[in-house]
Amino acid sequence: MGAYIARRLLSGVITIWFIATATFFGMHAVPGDPLLNDKAVTPEIRANLERAYGLDKPVPQQYLIFLKNMLQGDFGISFTQQNRRVNDIIAEHFPVSATLGVLALLFAAGGGIMFGALTALFRSRMPDYLIMFLVIIAVSVPSFVFAGLGQLAILRLNSLLGFSLLPVAGWGTVAHMLVPALVLGLGTMAYLTRLMRSSMLEVAETDYIRTARAKGLTPRRIFFRHQLRNAILPVVTVLGPAIAAITTGGFVVELVFAIPGLGRYFVQAVQQLDYTVIMGTTVFYGAFLVLMVIAVDIVYGFIDPRIQVSKSLS
Amino acid sequence: MVSYIPTAEDFQALDSAREGDRIDRPSLSYWQDVWRRLRSNRRALASLSIVVGLLLFTLMGPLLWRVDPALQDLEQVSQPPSLGRYALVVADNTPAPTVTHTAISSAAVDREQAARNLRLLGTPHSEGVNLAWDPLPGVDAYQLYRHEYPPRDADDLGLPMARLMPQEISYRDLLGLETRQYYYSIVGVYNGKEARAYTTLPVVVEQAILFSEAEYRGLLSGDATPETAVGSSIRLESHPLGTDYLGRDMLARLMWGARTSLFIGICAPLIFVIIGLAYGGLAGYSGGRLDGAMMRFADFVIALPFLLFMILFKIAFGLGPGESGIGPMLLALVLLSWPATARLVRGQVLQIREEAYIAAARMMGATAPYLVLRHILPNVMGVLLVSLTFAIPTAIFTEAFLSFIGMGVVPPTPSWGSMCNDGIRTMLSHPHELMFPALFISVTVLAFNLLGDGLRDAMDARMRSGT
Amino acid sequence: MSEQPVLSVRDLEVEFDTFGGKVRAVRGVSYDVHAGETLAVVGESGCGKSVTVQALMGLIPTPPGRIVGGSARLMGRELIGLNQAQLNDVRGADMGMIFQDPMTSLNPTMRVGDQIAETLVVHRDISRDAALAEAVRLLERTRIPEAAQRARQYPFEFSGGMLQRVMISMSLACTPKLLIADEPTTALDVTIQDQVLELMQEIQREDHMAIVLITHDLGVVARMADRVAVMYAGEVVEYGSVDDIFYRSAHPYTEGLKEAMPDMHQHGKDRLEAIPGSPPDLFSPPPGCAYHPRCPHAMRICNRIGPSEYPVGDAHHASCWRLHEDAPTTASEDGHAG
Repeated sequence: MGAYIARRLLSGVITIWFIATATFFGMHAVPGDPLLNDKAVTPEIRANLERAYGLDKPVPQQYLIFLKNMLQGDFGISFTQQNRRVNDIIAEHFPVSATLGVLALLFAAGGGIMFGALTALFRSRMPDYLIMFLVIIAVSVPSFVFAGLGQLAILRLNSLLGFSLLPVAGWGTVAHMLVPALVLGLGTMAYLTRLMRSSMLEVAETDYIRTARAKGLTPRRIFFRHQLRNAILPVVTVLGPAIAAITTGGFVVELVFAIPGLGRYFVQAVQQLDYTVIMGTTVFYGAFLVLMVIAVDIVYGFIDPRIQVSKSLS
Repeated sequence: MVSYIPTAEDFQALDSAREGDRIDRPSLSYWQDVWRRLRSNRRALASLSIVVGLLLFTLMGPLLWRVDPALQDLEQVSQPPSLGRYALVVADNTPAPTVTHTAISSAAVDREQAARNLRLLGTPHSEGVNLAWDPLPGVDAYQLYRHEYPPRDADDLGLPMARLMPQEISYRDLLGLETRQYYYSIVGVYNGKEARAYTTLPVVVEQAILFSEAEYRGLLSGDATPETAVGSSIRLESHPLGTDYLGRDMLARLMWGARTSLFIGICAPLIFVIIGLAYGGLAGYSGGRLDGAMMRFADFVIALPFLLFMILFKIAFGLGPGESGIGPMLLALVLLSWPATARLVRGQVLQIREEAYIAAARMMGATAPYLVLRHILPNVMGVLLVSLTFAIPTAIFTEAFLSFIGMGVVPPTPSWGSMCNDGIRTMLSHPHELMFPALFISVTVLAFNLLGDGLRDAMDARMRSGT
Repeated sequence: MSEQPVLSVRDLEVEFDTFGGKVRAVRGVSYDVHAGETLAVVGESGCGKSVTVQALMGLIPTPPGRIVGGSARLMGRELIGLNQAQLNDVRGADMGMIFQDPMTSLNPTMRVGDQIAETLVVHRDISRDAALAEAVRLLERTRIPEAAQRARQYPFEFSGGMLQRVMISMSLACTPKLLIADEPTTALDVTIQDQVLELMQEIQREDHMAIVLITHDLGVVARMADRVAVMYAGEVVEYGSVDDIFYRSAHPYTEGLKEAMPDMHQHGKDRLEAIPGSPPDLFSPPPGCAYHPRCPHAMRICNRIGPSEYPVGDAHHASCWRLHEDAPTTASEDGHAG
């Protein structure tokens, strides 16, 4: 297990390097002048600024400096807000996005597993059709529409109740988080429901479920102890990509609900061509996602006995 | 059976009439069978017709509905869907009817008294609403409000329109009038403070158009003069699906937006599926170290955070003047999406390569191109088609998403995503501006998803049972 | 054989509704199994031999499957038409079943011991610990070394032969009267097959249990069976003792099966005779006798009317027109004689 984790982490580091490199050269291919927005009015000020940001050096050297700084976890200083370090920006806004994301993931995974299991249990009957119909709607409607509808629903609910039950936008309390997290998790929930359903149906047709029936076990026991347990495993494996989907989906939700998360900040930074913030955020998100996928795989190794032992053998 | 008593003749040998090579069921080719199964799937078939309908809508639509999607009809801003609206032609530069009187100074000021006889002067229409009221004794000024709902109390009178001198007892409202019901309220101001008492007048605003504007847009007959035309009712341009916040025709924008959205949604997957096929096919077919290196690279590309890099590439590929931003988006989408297909194809090729029929064909001297074209490609086609169908909704979503956060196509070019972005701002007052583009995105994505499901089921069933 | 049979199947009919139409997979199958006796059901794949036992175990997926008619009595108790709860009382307790592929027939994420103990917990009033101890004893009985440790392992840590032993321990947990073995050795190596068969015989001797053994391997039949039912296209075409089938077979299909078996041709033949043609398509079975398109002795009546059962000897019967009293002598190999 230890060797496996070490191997995964090493490949993760290489992947993060690749992401950082792609980000660096991608940003350098961007046309336009990064200092255009600044007060680089005179050549002297301009030269000073270029020196401060290291833009006066040749590109390969800039790349090496960039890598060195990344290794030290230093993402540099913002172009548009000169006295703010990118690290501080991430430290301030990422926890907001992460909180929202974790809540959304809980909604998505919990709902997905529950609804998926329900559809399989009521296969070809009313609850199955109803849930699958809602799932199809949820995967077909863009997230920003749900975000808008979510806001609308809050407004209607508040005016119906006559007082403000949930805030329409903003951040701070659990009440602020509920609807955005639900909207954010909705697409992933639908996807997981589908996956869970097909996984349940696949397991239902396996030989070992037939064995369980031949043993005279009650349907309830077969459902919980044999079918559900085995059907959840494939769902766990896609949680890594699901986290990625939720993280980036957060951009829209943060924009619509005016949540001060990193996603919203990233969109702003792109609009203002804030080079260091864009690079820092991209590499940070990339590294975060790579690590999450590795973490999910390792967790999976603990859940699925087959992987656990084959790893300890190797 | 038991009741039958056989005769001697029955025990004669059954001669050549033996049907050894009887064919029980008609033989169908792979694609014939897939088509047969797909056709019996009603949902998939309905989805297919929706897709065809959408293509007709966007390709033929603009030929039939010749409205410029960028034309701003400022007379009809944010109009809900309607087949045609009539407008009252009004003269240009009509002077506002003003009613004045000398202020009544009175010792007995009754602050509880509301202004009486709040009334309309002339017809209220979108080119101006003229109001007048009876003077109140002892006021310092009048405050006029306009509300979109009936006011509940003195704190809920709506938008403050104007503060008027005591001798002015009329007002002409020209501020962004829409054809709807308004509630005008008048309040007296005493010593700089507004009284609690108010009078409210509900006013239904009619659509109107200035004579010069109507003439300019060719809505009037040739010999119309201000004298004959003013006061008549003419038909405005129709907007079957309404207009957006700049008065642009929604139907035309949806048709042209479909071109953007479907172009990106269909072209990008088509291109990256072909690239993925070539890349994955090469890796899988050659195997060994080349395969390992190629797949490692594909893994790296997959690990890039998709939307962040979409945004990054989109700005990196830049925008020249006058460009719509479709090109950079297409390029970014292709650059980031090919590895999934490459992986899929490689897996398939690796599997097919080991099949006995490939070995058999090799043994009979089949060359590599023959093997690829005759055996490998046709067997990969099925999964490829399914993944293509599922890639289309993803691409449409990506375009919509980027346009929504303002990183997509550049404004005058309509796309469903950018229309949603415009629409969400006016969602509360004019829901149709968000609903229509959102509906189009959803129905398109739904259709492709269901089509993909149907296709996959049809092929799966074929693979699984062979019956 | 006068005592009540453990299992008695009568005129069982099973249909499947499929995409291509209705498939009559089992068309009136009857057989008996007595205590301490092994009935082998033989036939090509798709002849309905597995579907028959799955039907009486209540394992037919419904829909698309459906039991259309007939009866199956276990110790005199009717199985067809039982509800879920009643069926669960019987399954695993009075009748156990082992399947073809032990690798896929055990829950991959559950410890082997737990899977055996589960049967006991459900059918007997017994604590989990006691059930686990019993599971270890059962594993020992099927000669699994270090049973106590093995019970804590997962199925993928076992070899195929070992897993089949686990399956046997599991089906024996409640000492059932009837063991149904659906091709128990087909997925195993030849050397392992022998050990598993021996184990089954040993347990049968000890527990005096009835076994229904489904196989397409006549070698296994010769070794294990007391009685044999030969099935073709969803019907039992010949039924008799193992000697009847091997030395006095009366149905051309049984003959064909024997011809096609490698170690049966000790009479100087140097090549195996395959049965020409392929099993009938059960979407549209041929009229008359289902076997007639492949039968070397086919007669004019065969493609019109299906034959009835004709007794051949004591408790030995076959369904073939050649056994009809008016038919030309069956002893000659000349099917063309008028």
